[in-house]
Amino acid sequence: MRPGASQLVSALALVAGINAAAGTASAQEPRLRDRLPAPTRIAIDAILDSAHAEGLPTEPLVDRALEGASKGAAPDRIMAAVQRLWGELRTARISLGLGSSAPEIVAGASALRAGADPDDLTRLRELRTRQSLTVASATLADLVAVGVPVDTAVAAVIALAEGAEDADYLAFRRNVERDIALGASPVSALGVRLGAAAAEALSNIDQASSPGPRRPRKP
Amino acid sequence: MTEGNGRLERAIDALKEPVQLGHTFDQRVMAEIESGPEPRAWAYRFWAILDWLKRGRPVSVSPLGGLALTAGIALVALLGRSMLESEGQSTPVAAAAYGSVVQFVIVEPAATAVSLVGDFNDWSAAANPMQRMAGNGVWSVTVPLTPGRYRYAFLVNGSIWLSDPSAPPTLDDEFGRPGSVVTIGEL
Repeated sequence: MRPGASQLVSALALVAGINAAAGTASAQEPRLRDRLPAPTRIAIDAILDSAHAEGLPTEPLVDRALEGASKGAAPDRIMAAVQRLWGELRTARISLGLGSSAPEIVAGASALRAGADPDDLTRLRELRTRQSLTVASATLADLVAVGVPVDTAVAAVIALAEGAEDADYLAFRRNVERDIALGASPVSALGVRLGAAAAEALSNIDQASSPGPRRPRKP
Repeated sequence: MTEGNGRLERAIDALKEPVQLGHTFDQRVMAEIESGPEPRAWAYRFWAILDWLKRGRPVSVSPLGGLALTAGIALVALLGRSMLESEGQSTPVAAAAYGSVVQFVIVEPAATAVSLVGDFNDWSAAANPMQRMAGNGVWSVTVPLTPGRYRYAFLVNGSIWLSDPSAPPTLDDEFGRPGSVVTIGEL
């Protein structure tokens, strides 16, 4: 274990111990019991308590610890991963708004991990006030994961923000991935698919404004 | 020529005579048409009924009735899901789905056991063992998922970690093993 991480685990365990002594015993996550060594488990329980007190979703933190344990990672590595995710969840929640759902916060954290700026998430929220941001934020992260530069991915996701449904985002990402798999560069694949989306949006606007017979509006 | 033949010829001659329509014939025909049911009335009623069916309206259900309704819906959903599973026609790709049941597939002809592990099953190799499909090295499992973003991987023979080639990779490799992500949209 690296000295820094070791000291961190000890410090968090100490905080948990002080909390317990003060009568604010931290809740123990039962799923961690047989999967992690006691000091790491205690330290993660302390993080879970703090995250819960902040109103953050704790399930992703438990999942990350379990992932590390399942993959046989060293305790300090697991601690570092959980702590990093904790920070990302906190930033994502602030950027997306305090009323954001747990899936939105998790997806927002993945977008931050991909390199998006917290202000990008705030902008996305402003543009999509009525829709969930889970898929939009996840699309941003997924585009970066397949090689699209983060600035380009952010621009694309924000360009689609006002008109696209979740299904449109998923289809957009799938199409970009397919083009890349067929040999296109990530930037050109994204540009082509963004152009196609813009053309479709313009076509829809033309149809809506044409004087021909219209389908009756739903009540 | 017999008497019978004479009658037949007179009848034929009578039929050959042109029919004389009265001067009120047209008026009588039009009156008959107007008194009958209007042809488009049924079509109008059909669309009116359809419109009525589509229109939202408040419905009050007793607690017991609500329970029965919920049980019925759950039964239909379960039957539908079991039919899907039995026919192997669930959501086709694990990379990104838009529903609650996702099928994960990987081709590993040499594997003796493959498990799906991820955020949705506490990364437990025992939770979702994959089934080998008839003799072609394809392993598959379906998992119900709520909307969200999940990390996952395939664990082959209990020791080899593989990402899903049909899904976006995880952005980082924090634990030194490959992984993938799946995003489930809101229904």
